[in-house]
Amino acid sequence: MSGVLVVMEQRAGTWNKMSFEALAAGQLLAAKLGVGVGAAVVGDGLQTLGAWSSSGKVDAAFAVEHALLTEYTADGYMAALEQLIKRLAPAYVLFPHTYQVRDFAPALATRFKQVLISDVIAIHDGPVFVRQLLQGKLNADYRQTGDGPCFVSVQAGTFRAEEQQNTAVAMEIFTPTLESTQIRNKPGELFRESAQTVDLSVAPVIVSVGRGIGEQENIGIVEELAAALGAELAASRPICDNGWLPMERQVGSSGQTVSPKLYLAVGISGAIQHLVGMKGSKAVVAINKDENAPIFEVADYGVVGDLFEVVPALTRAVLAAKS
Amino acid sequence: MVAGSLVALVGSRYAGSILLSGLSVSASLAEPERFSWPEAGLVVVCVLASATLFFWRFGPILRAIVHSKKDADFSLQPIGRRVWDFVWEVLCQAKVIKQRPLPGLAHAFVFWGFLAFALVSLNHLATGIRLGFLPPSSYVGGFYFLFAAAWALLVAVSIFGLFVRRFFVRPIWLGKKISYESGFIAFLIFLLMVTYLAAFFVDEGGAAVKALWWTHTLALLVFLPLIPHTKHLHLVLSPLTVFLKRDGFSKIPPLAGDEDFGLVAGKDVTQLISLQAYSCVECGRCTEHCPASTTGKVLNPKEIILGMRSYLNEFGPASEMSLLTEGRVTSPDNPPAKYMSMEAAFECTTCGSCEYQCPVGIQHVPIIVGMRRGATNTGIWEDTYGTKLFLALEKNGNALGLSATERDKFIQKQALPIFDGTQEYCLWLGCMGGYDPKGREIIADFARVMNHLGTTFGVLKKEKCTGDPARRLGNDLVFQTMAEFGLKALETAKVQKIVAICPHCVRTIANDWREYGIAPEIEHHSEFMARYKDRLPKQASGESIVYHDPCYLGRYQDVYEEPREIVARAGTLVEAPRSHERSFCCGAGGGLAFLGEESGERVSHVRASELAGTGAQIVGTACPFCNTMFRDALSAVSTTPPQLLDIAQLTARALPETQEMSK
Amino acid sequence: MKIVVAIKQVPERDAQIHVTADGKWIDESDLNYAINEPDAYALEEALQLKEKNGGEVVVVCAGPERVTSTLREALAKGADRAIHIEADDLGQRDTLGVAQILADAVKTESPDLILTGLQSDDLGLGQTGVVLAELLGVPHATIIMQVELVDGGLKVKRELEDGWFQHVQMPLPALLTIQSGGNKLRYATLMGIKKAKTKETKTVTSSTAAGAQAVTLERVYLPEKQKKTEMLTGTPAEIAAKLVEKLKFEVRVI
Repeated sequence: MSGVLVVMEQRAGTWNKMSFEALAAGQLLAAKLGVGVGAAVVGDGLQTLGAWSSSGKVDAAFAVEHALLTEYTADGYMAALEQLIKRLAPAYVLFPHTYQVRDFAPALATRFKQVLISDVIAIHDGPVFVRQLLQGKLNADYRQTGDGPCFVSVQAGTFRAEEQQNTAVAMEIFTPTLESTQIRNKPGELFRESAQTVDLSVAPVIVSVGRGIGEQENIGIVEELAAALGAELAASRPICDNGWLPMERQVGSSGQTVSPKLYLAVGISGAIQHLVGMKGSKAVVAINKDENAPIFEVADYGVVGDLFEVVPALTRAVLAAKS
Repeated sequence: MVAGSLVALVGSRYAGSILLSGLSVSASLAEPERFSWPEAGLVVVCVLASATLFFWRFGPILRAIVHSKKDADFSLQPIGRRVWDFVWEVLCQAKVIKQRPLPGLAHAFVFWGFLAFALVSLNHLATGIRLGFLPPSSYVGGFYFLFAAAWALLVAVSIFGLFVRRFFVRPIWLGKKISYESGFIAFLIFLLMVTYLAAFFVDEGGAAVKALWWTHTLALLVFLPLIPHTKHLHLVLSPLTVFLKRDGFSKIPPLAGDEDFGLVAGKDVTQLISLQAYSCVECGRCTEHCPASTTGKVLNPKEIILGMRSYLNEFGPASEMSLLTEGRVTSPDNPPAKYMSMEAAFECTTCGSCEYQCPVGIQHVPIIVGMRRGATNTGIWEDTYGTKLFLALEKNGNALGLSATERDKFIQKQALPIFDGTQEYCLWLGCMGGYDPKGREIIADFARVMNHLGTTFGVLKKEKCTGDPARRLGNDLVFQTMAEFGLKALETAKVQKIVAICPHCVRTIANDWREYGIAPEIEHHSEFMARYKDRLPKQASGESIVYHDPCYLGRYQDVYEEPREIVARAGTLVEAPRSHERSFCCGAGGGLAFLGEESGERVSHVRASELAGTGAQIVGTACPFCNTMFRDALSAVSTTPPQLLDIAQLTARALPETQEMSK
Repeated sequence: MKIVVAIKQVPERDAQIHVTADGKWIDESDLNYAINEPDAYALEEALQLKEKNGGEVVVVCAGPERVTSTLREALAKGADRAIHIEADDLGQRDTLGVAQILADAVKTESPDLILTGLQSDDLGLGQTGVVLAELLGVPHATIIMQVELVDGGLKVKRELEDGWFQHVQMPLPALLTIQSGGNKLRYATLMGIKKAKTKETKTVTSSTAAGAQAVTLERVYLPEKQKKTEMLTGTPAEIAAKLVEKLKFEVRVI
């Protein structure tokens, strides 16, 4: 057994960008161990992915194709990958830690009497794989102690995929043996929830405005920032009480509880009734002219300044970065 | 007030006899000539008929009360208090007069008149069966009948005034419907007085006397059977109700046994509750001062009690039918009960205004909390915020659902000493003091005051919520967990004295925790600071400070003067229009601070307007919940809102140490 | 319909963490334990399915004596029976080892549906459910928001990245891992706790001893970076530029 196999992900002919991060991780690991690195992607009609390239070396690449793999199913993907792994016998199988991988990779590992080391944030010499425990309060070192391929999935954003991809990669077709009776689930179409009601609880980015905005007319500058970030607009209670924004946009103990990736609090002091509604945010940015405002105690990044100057500047900078 | 009544009594007696002699009539009551045996027989028949009718109507009510579940925790002790309440509230009519002076006095006259008339009525009926025992010609009789005549005049005038008030002035608290029954009974009372007085103006032994006698008697005998099914039942019941009241204000009785979850159905209604439900006089004083009722909510305390009465009349005290309308199957024939609903029950802030001033001894708060218990302990109350609160208390041990480490961080940042058994006081932070930014400021300032006074104190390493919101919302499971945890923590740390900034904490630890154990003595920081008021800085600022009495400090614990003493040292004390025991709730109590949006007008805004309307420069509070509620409310009701400061903050700002720091 | 819910008892979410001297795990002496929150959602889903379709809800938990309190809570919330798999050595078992003893206990119940939370608050591997399904040989689906019983099986709503969702039809028996927040959790009531006293809790021993692990947790340690507020200073334009960089590379929302 040798080498690192990176399993990449695509849906309907489009790459899941995390795949390249996993590839970078695989290349890193392979370099540490002085072994080769291969890549594989599962699906059907994979020529629509087009030619792709990597900034590091890829010794072999496989397109695992079968008509029954057009739609993702755990049964289908597991059976296909099981066969590929048995054929290639890699020492390490790496995945990006996507929703899809969480659905099948643990069971795939079980078939090899292995346990997936999931959501890894670093790879140290050994190799030792680092994971987070207790919601990020603790780090843990994991090591494979059994025999057989070692299954690992890597956390989004921990291994930076290089911007330039310059080495073209050619894929070899691998056709697994699959029966339709093996596939027990019937997946449906993807859909989004209706956009009519504001459901802040699922918004990934929220820009929230508080009493510091002063007048109703001034909310416009915050709306522009939200638009620039592609964020949902929310507010603390006094704003909704005044009727400047609808009640459904209220975040707080008598409004919605949110846990977005980014919560940008503009002119919000951070009263307890508001904090309890957004304390689950992954990252908090606060802009307030009062350096003692309680919001800064929960913020990752704080700006003590005049929001009427900072917010428009930020909007401009965001738009520039996105273009 | 009692003295005044006595003067009125004596004065009227003399005035009466002067008046009568001035009218040159015999200053004595004309008695009918001896009744014949058939007449006496008729009297007996009438009396029996009236009494039978009375008992036929009163019987079911008495049965309902007696067959209700026994109150497990009831005790006649302390008897002294009961006797005092009886004398003060029933005999002296204190509550009746104090809360509504003019109509109250009128009612008091009617009541005292009835008492004064006791012998008269007895003698009157005895005369009818040839057993009259008080001849008007005797010295005692002569005095007594004139005395009663003075009262009759007072009663007649009073009842006439009350009649005008009910039917022409029509205060809304008496209800919108015109009660013809009330009018008829007022007429009967008036008639009774008039027929009595008229007997002074007619000749002895004439036919007129007989006619008057029979009119008076019939009025009396018609009145009697009307009592049981009207609010006049309070004549019979209310002295008993006042005497048998549960000991303690807003006292929530412990649950009795494994099957008791609170007031779920008729079978859970206890004897005290039944007695109270039937005693209601429908005066509407409870509704008049209820923060929910006066801001457009469904909750109406009077209707809750009357609803309880209707329930007992319709379903009886053994019924399994749900008390709250949400627990019943409704149909067009069986429409939902508007007032006996979960919606109404959960709008109560437990401010206690209703219970505090009820003149017949009805205790509303245990009934409303009892209904909440029935809904929460059985899980039929499904409220997003309520569930969030209970889960937060279970998981995080505080009502705000924040990590307990936040409290630890605050303690570290503020360098508050940890209680280790050597300090005099344990400073109880509470949920607001430990987690709310404003509450924390109050703690920090109070700590400064204690340091200034040289009092040693420490905070508990681990503190959970006292369970007050869970208790008031009827979740006994969570409350028990919190109480037992707290008692154990205090015992382990060997705490002897506690001081807290939050009246809810103080009340819950001192009273409600008793169900599970006795906590060390606890006082509110106003009581603590008042003891040392001479050592607190006397500020010459002259700023006007309007003090808001928190419900849980004022009505619940009778602490009114101590906070005022502290405010007076910080500026000029100003009273709000409704203060002391009439203080209007801030809206946070009863767990409502943690529930969602309220319907109707905001209670906090109503009170904030009232406070800001005094023109004071500062609003002084003594409760972190009041403080939080007024923070947004004052800005919302006024463009130039007054400053908002807790009494600890008012004091700390003038401490020499603070002045040093800000230099 | 018989539903088995596999729950885990984990240290309280906000507990203070101290690493033991040997660095192998955390000091458990001062810890309070509670039900793993995603498992609470799984239990809620099971109870709602029972209320809608009838049947029985059985909760299963592996661990030392202290996990019986979590089982009792589950009974108080409405589960019908509880199974406690006695295991004092969970620290010496990897996911496969734990899933094995769960599978052996669950097999004896022959459930129609098995639910579990999508991951645990302590280790957060998010795999036990999927591995359990594989060992039991039943189809599975993960990160489920809604479950509906339909003709021939289940229709479930699966959460995907970026606000996308997908319905999946599945036959029974099956296993689902439940996402938090799909339902509103119920609170334990006094009535529930009293009823729980009369419900059955069966204790079974682990079917297998802890054997060799495929993957070992070697050591734990505190991460170097603690959460500190980074204050950004400068002119508005400078602040904006710094913030954009943070949002792009650290928070990754641009």
